[in-house]
Amino acid sequence: MIEADGLTKIYPNPDGSEKAAANGVSFRVEIGEVYGLLGPNGAGKTTTLRMLSGLLRPTAGRVLIDGRDVTHEPEFIKRKIGYLTANTGLYSRLTPRELLEYFAVLYDMPRAAAARRIAELVEWLGMREFLNLRCGALSTGQKQRTSIARALLADPPILILDEPTLGLDVLSNRIILSFIRDQANSGKAILLSTHALDEIETMCRRMGLIHNGRLIAEGELEELRRQTGLTRLSEIFLHLVGADEPVLAN
Amino acid sequence: MSRFSRINTIWRKELTDILRDRRTVLAMVLVPIVLYPVLMLGSLQAFEAQAGRLRQEKYVVAVNSEVTQRWLKRIIDTDGARRMMDQGLPATAPAPSSRPAADDPEEPASPTAETGDAGDQQERVRTDVRHKPPPLEIIIVRDVPRAVNAGHAHTGVILNGPSPIADGGASSEVLVVTDQAEIRSEIASAAVGGILSRLNYQLLWQRLQREQLPSTFVEPVKITDQRIATPRKMGGSILGQIVPLILIVMTISGAVYPAIDLTAGERERGTLETLVVAPVPTMDLIAGKFIVVTLIGMLSAFLNLLSIGGTIWLGGFGSLLSRGAAVQIPLDSLPLVLLILIPLAVMFSGTLLAVCSFARSFKEAQNYVMPVLVAAMIPAVVGSLPGTRLEGPILVIPVANIVVLTRELFLGRFDPQAILWVMSSTSVYAAAAVAVAAKLFGQEAVLFADAGSIRTVFQRRFFKPARVPSTAQALLMLAVVYPLNFFIQRAIGDSQAFQGNVRFFYALSAVLVGLFAFLPLATAVYTRIQISSAFSFRSASPAAWLAALCLGASTWILASAWLAVQQMWLPMDEAFVEQMEVLMGWIKDMPVLAIVFFMAVVPAVCEELFFRGYALSGVRSGMGRWGSILIIGIAFGVYHQSVHRLITTMALGMLFATLVLQSRSLWPAMLAHVMHNSILILTATVPDVHRTLVETGWVYGAAGVSVPPTGFVLAGAALLCLGLAMSALAARERRAAPAA
Repeated sequence: MIEADGLTKIYPNPDGSEKAAANGVSFRVEIGEVYGLLGPNGAGKTTTLRMLSGLLRPTAGRVLIDGRDVTHEPEFIKRKIGYLTANTGLYSRLTPRELLEYFAVLYDMPRAAAARRIAELVEWLGMREFLNLRCGALSTGQKQRTSIARALLADPPILILDEPTLGLDVLSNRIILSFIRDQANSGKAILLSTHALDEIETMCRRMGLIHNGRLIAEGELEELRRQTGLTRLSEIFLHLVGADEPVLAN
Repeated sequence: MSRFSRINTIWRKELTDILRDRRTVLAMVLVPIVLYPVLMLGSLQAFEAQAGRLRQEKYVVAVNSEVTQRWLKRIIDTDGARRMMDQGLPATAPAPSSRPAADDPEEPASPTAETGDAGDQQERVRTDVRHKPPPLEIIIVRDVPRAVNAGHAHTGVILNGPSPIADGGASSEVLVVTDQAEIRSEIASAAVGGILSRLNYQLLWQRLQREQLPSTFVEPVKITDQRIATPRKMGGSILGQIVPLILIVMTISGAVYPAIDLTAGERERGTLETLVVAPVPTMDLIAGKFIVVTLIGMLSAFLNLLSIGGTIWLGGFGSLLSRGAAVQIPLDSLPLVLLILIPLAVMFSGTLLAVCSFARSFKEAQNYVMPVLVAAMIPAVVGSLPGTRLEGPILVIPVANIVVLTRELFLGRFDPQAILWVMSSTSVYAAAAVAVAAKLFGQEAVLFADAGSIRTVFQRRFFKPARVPSTAQALLMLAVVYPLNFFIQRAIGDSQAFQGNVRFFYALSAVLVGLFAFLPLATAVYTRIQISSAFSFRSASPAAWLAALCLGASTWILASAWLAVQQMWLPMDEAFVEQMEVLMGWIKDMPVLAIVFFMAVVPAVCEELFFRGYALSGVRSGMGRWGSILIIGIAFGVYHQSVHRLITTMALGMLFATLVLQSRSLWPAMLAHVMHNSILILTATVPDVHRTLVETGWVYGAAGVSVPPTGFVLAGAALLCLGLAMSALAARERRAAPAA
């Protein structure tokens, strides 16, 4: 379970001013749930996710993963989390197999268990045909599947997925979304950050909207519909970020 | 999984990754194995072709009169006969004139350790044409120097007075005009010079025969060179000229690409974020990267060395480099040289990784690396200047010291003290560079390009308040202060203003206060480190004070005893002892209290602030108790710049560090240190104290070594044990008491 409590990240600018990339963000992600985090570019989604996974130290607030503070036990928390970063950073000169084997060592997985797990993930994500090609030669979808396999390698109970379907074709998109749903059903807590509103609509029961570093709305889709009196998530979203006025005026 | 095997996995993966990059392989393998031989052999052939052309070209000689033209033409025409005669000369042939020795036909090709560069090549062409002139054409001009200057003629000959003859004893002046900025002018003049010197010799020979004098008449002193360098030493000398520089350049240029690729490159490709998501300490990640960069740097240097060796061996370069002298390459010094290269490669990789950690992209990193390359090349070139010896400041100048040490090793010189300096100073720089790289690598601003400006890393308000400095900060402080201290002390020692008077000691005290007290204190304030915990400014328990008294009263005896024992296998350096006596002479008129203050109290206080204050708390924050005690001991020992006192100063450093860690206070160690210094100063400067010691059985021998009587040694050892016990007691009391 993920609990974000008043997460704030302030970056100092060289000129002395300060920029709050995240400002008092609080939400919970329960076991077996896919929680959607949405917001425009630069809203503070990635900063929030980095704080959740212990890569950035919050200026204020705290993150509890299964009740333990990320700041105090970063390495313990990193074992609990599978974090898929927004830009699929893969070592282009290694093959997916080598990459997974490397990360298995970094996660202290015993050799036999690692081999079993890799075989399992290769099967689930349909990676067999490109397993021994260099990552640099893979398509975007293949890279993304490799990245997801990397994030799931140690079978972490918590998944943080930053734009997992960005730039994917319909087929890869479907493989990955159904995979995420299966993972949630098997009892993982999943945080899904994305631009794709329809994905949130179909995948998530609850969601949070981030704008200018603040969580401006949070709850189930039905609640948001009631609050705003709008039905489609895109309309709700535009309404909440204050961009709907000109649209409505027309 | 153990830390070791994790780092092992990381570096092996990084190595695989980097070796699969075509660019690495290109830079590391193709350049040395293909490009070098081609370049070297190509340039050799170009040189030879050029030299051949220069030897056979027709040169123009300007003269200012028909008389001179006729005279010159005649001696050029008859020069062939004189050359024939030359070859059959007796060994006692007189030196013809004040011309350089190279004129003498008997002069062997000087097998100096010149590299086969263009200047050397020209020198050989000049020697050749002197013995075998090229075709010469004589023209008459009004103004000979102007004609040569304008390039109408290559050289000029002006005959002042009558043409030289064998009769009588007169001397005629012949002026040879050379434009030394023009290679062809120099060659033409050398050819004319050769012809004239043979004429000179022939006329001299005729004069001697007419007077029935032996040739020894004009050579009261016969100078013969005896060249004693063995072929092995000659080989070492030649290698020493070129190999160290090549090794340095290749190590650093080999390390540049992986350093950029594994830091800025990783960030640009987005893999860095993926990597830090894994539950691996940053230190392990940087350690793995760092091993790979070091390895590739060394590998690249080694491959280059092999390639150059092969080219010299197979390409006939050896004879060119040695100018025909017998040469044997001292291959057995190569392993030692490669060993010395390790700390250098470590230092370069650490520096490069630190610098590249700042860059957000590959291109930016390349820009940052350039100044590092230049900064490394300057000392490398200084070190490779012929005649630079491994002494003085060179010992601790990074890069330069390795260059000179490598050359000395090739020459078969092996000075343990110098090797200690070079290796220890380079290791300190290397450790600091690595620590800084590790520190930077973990910064948020470095991990994520969008996480605020890099500049914030250095601004005071962005330093997180801390209780003690980090290990990186402590090592960086050591790396900055050591060479600074070394240079300033040398400068004071060399400066006339401080010679022979007490100002010398004021200056040394000022340096101590500035570098060892003010600098760490100011740095701690700037980087927002809590002074009281960084410098262990805490009150001490009575047990700790008692421990300090015991240690302060005993260490001087035990140090003297040790030096007396050590004297048996490592005799005191006499130069050092003499120097100390000179220094003692300067202060003999100072009041005792002032001597104790400047020579005992100030050094003790400043050194404690630095070593057992800032450095100890910093090192301790990154490693265990005994590790940090050992490091501080070594740092303190090396700081004293004397192999003879290395053991005692190291032991003292470790003892005081133990006392600080156990009592959690700097004050007792400071007291012990002041006592140790003061007692030693008093025994050396106050005659009464000295006399009393002699009466109680101390034996003051030569070279400043004193042997304490057994009773003193036993009492000292007992006091030391008591001091250690009290110190341990202080630690136990502190642990037992509730945390304050």
